[in-house]
Amino acid sequence: MATRLYLYKAKVAASLSSHQKKMGRATSCSSSSTASSTQLRKDLSTDLRLGLSISNFQQDAPNSLPRVRDQPSDWPPITPLLRKALEVEDQNESNSVTFFVKVYMEGIPIGRKLDLLAHDGYHDLIRTLDHMFNTTILWSEVEDGAHSEKCHVLTYEDKEGDWLMVGDVPWELFLSSVKRLKITRA
Amino acid sequence: MNYFPDEVIEHVFDFITSHKDRNAVSLVCKSWYKIERMSRQIVFIGNCYAISPEGVIARFPELKSLTLKGKPHFADFNLVPHDWGGILYPWIEAFAKSRVGLEELRLKRMVVSDESLELLSKSFVNFKALVLVSCEGFSTDGLAAVAANCRFLRELDLQENEVEDHRGHWISRFPESCTSLVSLNLACLKGEINLSALERLVARSPNLKSLRLSRAVPLDALQKILMRAPQLVDLGTGSFVHDPASDAYNKLKATILKCKSIKSLSGFLEVAPRCLSAIHPICHNLTSLNLSYAPGIHGNDLIKLIQHCRKLERLWILDCIGDKGLGIVASTCKELQELRVFPSDPYGVGNAAVTEEGLVAISAGCPKLHSLLYFCQQMTNAALITVAKNCSNFTRFRLCILDPTRPDPVTMQPLDEGFGAIVQSCKRLRRLSLSGLLTDRVFLYIGMYAEQLEMLSIAFAGDSDKGMLYVLNGCKKLRKLEIRDSPFGDTALLTDVGKYETMRSLWMSSCEVTLGGCKTLAKNRPMLNVEIINEDDQIDFSSDDRQKVGKMYLYRTLVGPRKDAPEFVWTLSRRWVGTDLVKQHNSNSSKFLTMAGQEKSQKSQGWSKNPVPSGWNCHNIGVLSKNYCTRIIGYEDLKGTMA
Repeated sequence: MATRLYLYKAKVAASLSSHQKKMGRATSCSSSSTASSTQLRKDLSTDLRLGLSISNFQQDAPNSLPRVRDQPSDWPPITPLLRKALEVEDQNESNSVTFFVKVYMEGIPIGRKLDLLAHDGYHDLIRTLDHMFNTTILWSEVEDGAHSEKCHVLTYEDKEGDWLMVGDVPWELFLSSVKRLKITRA
Repeated sequence: MNYFPDEVIEHVFDFITSHKDRNAVSLVCKSWYKIERMSRQIVFIGNCYAISPEGVIARFPELKSLTLKGKPHFADFNLVPHDWGGILYPWIEAFAKSRVGLEELRLKRMVVSDESLELLSKSFVNFKALVLVSCEGFSTDGLAAVAANCRFLRELDLQENEVEDHRGHWISRFPESCTSLVSLNLACLKGEINLSALERLVARSPNLKSLRLSRAVPLDALQKILMRAPQLVDLGTGSFVHDPASDAYNKLKATILKCKSIKSLSGFLEVAPRCLSAIHPICHNLTSLNLSYAPGIHGNDLIKLIQHCRKLERLWILDCIGDKGLGIVASTCKELQELRVFPSDPYGVGNAAVTEEGLVAISAGCPKLHSLLYFCQQMTNAALITVAKNCSNFTRFRLCILDPTRPDPVTMQPLDEGFGAIVQSCKRLRRLSLSGLLTDRVFLYIGMYAEQLEMLSIAFAGDSDKGMLYVLNGCKKLRKLEIRDSPFGDTALLTDVGKYETMRSLWMSSCEVTLGGCKTLAKNRPMLNVEIINEDDQIDFSSDDRQKVGKMYLYRTLVGPRKDAPEFVWTLSRRWVGTDLVKQHNSNSSKFLTMAGQEKSQKSQGWSKNPVPSGWNCHNIGVLSKNYCTRIIGYEDLKGTMA
């Protein structure tokens, strides 16, 4: 009795399809033979076969030369979560976001500009300002009284237009509310 | 045969906990089969399509804990389309209907919907533990249902899942009466978390031993939480960014000193390296450290940290530690058993990264090492031979050279001899992943020496069918074989088809396997599902059998082709007998043409597993939506149908 093979194709039932979640990436992952490849990531395997000729592949992919820029999403074999985490870190390092604010010293008409994001926190900031203006600067964590008239106090203008002493609020909060700095005589 | 009453035998079986042992025990005689099956509470199912939920319930009615795995392993690397399958809902539905007393559910690579989580939370009164690893399809709404309804929840462990974040404070859904939490892992969640609700939850969970936070939990919140849970054994930090000179940071340092029980540390999803000194005081107790999601920590800070960790048994780290850093690990962590080094620069040319030097140092310095995952720029045969000599205890050896066909850079030879040395020396090796330039020779060695090998991953390796044949012939205990981009074709696939019924699954993608080969394979094999993943309709099934198959996944099964396969998955199967049935697109209830040309509308529910008796020329097909299409190509003379 001759037996034959059966092939069948099934679509997902409507009730199941509501369970499908759309993920952020393209659903076709490593297929490399469509023309509209803007969404699809190029399959590294094709790159390698074309470039390294490791075996006799008869791939019917109509791809042109391997594109160096395209990053395959299936090699190296790391999970999507790790891949994303590394991409984010990459962006963080290369974006170099800056936040420059003006700094004036009382009595000196010409001010300076300073990138607050290049500093770790208040201590770092004070150190930079000490150098920039060649003086000792007081702020909220420093004790009063032990210094001569040569000192200055660091203040800032916040989004509401008020002038406050620097150092009372957490650094992140300070960053989000500061508009500019002023060093006044003590 | 039994000299003891059943209760005595059952009591003896209570001491047998391993699945393999219980499986063996159940084969001794009918009486033992019955006793074992009625007493098995923990059931492990490595492939959710190998058996139906009803089948599981029928055999193990007393089950309390279920482990289910769905998609093939290569789904982790974007090789399997998202809606391939692995759907949880039918399992929960069946268990709820049969009133199974489910208490624990552990899932890996399954599609879990919010509806299934909700049904789960409402159907099983004693539900205690939910562990989801690499799953997707659910949102925080599903988690809210679990939080709200599972009154005795002890464990909610979310590892590496894709979770959609909806607004709404799901953490607040844990009732005030919920005080039973032992383990809470939220590390993979992306959205905002109600921090005060989380803090209150931790405060009323005196048994909480394991807590892993997400990125959305800043350092000052961490400090408050730790104040409430100084008994923690396992901690995953969220965001570890702060001004190291601030009060909040100093408070954290003081609080951490109180957490004397922490043995396992992970997280640092966002980190300001200057803050790491806060954790130095607890490093000397650590047995497990996972910094693989902390690309913000650079080499020197990593080294400073590790120098304090003398008791480390498990280390997951990024390759920015460098060879030098690995040298320090080798001299500091003498208790090390498991090491994973992940690539921090997966696409770049990379200056960081590690080479064979780091691995050799580790193998020399850490005598207890048995599990390795190592991403590196290059590897030499000499290094692998040295590693094999130093460490013959490997049970898991996974090497990934970032340029997958790179030869030994010193000798320009393939890495056959190096891997050969590993398999020859490590007699207990159960899992192996290969990379680098490799010929058929490495597979000859694997077939000869890797007697305990259960799982093998191959990528861009081999010259001919002989390679795959060496493995299939030699590795008697092989359970999972996954191959991509290697020149293995029909001859290798078809030489020993019976072998696949002794294995859980075989994956082959971008190999030389043809459609005809797959068809031949599926012939006469009712216990195998041979699935072809046909994305973008690359394969035209009505034409040439010589077409190459892009992705093939085959697995043994007791229940025939699955009914939930999406349209791009084609199952080749001999078992399903039918005629040429054509769907009518426009009708609400699909109608089918039989071979005789008569219209028949669907009546009965469900697929029948046996061929249909004469009189009907098509399956009994359940009522389906208009999107459902079945098309069976090929004919069978029903009069001579197989049983």
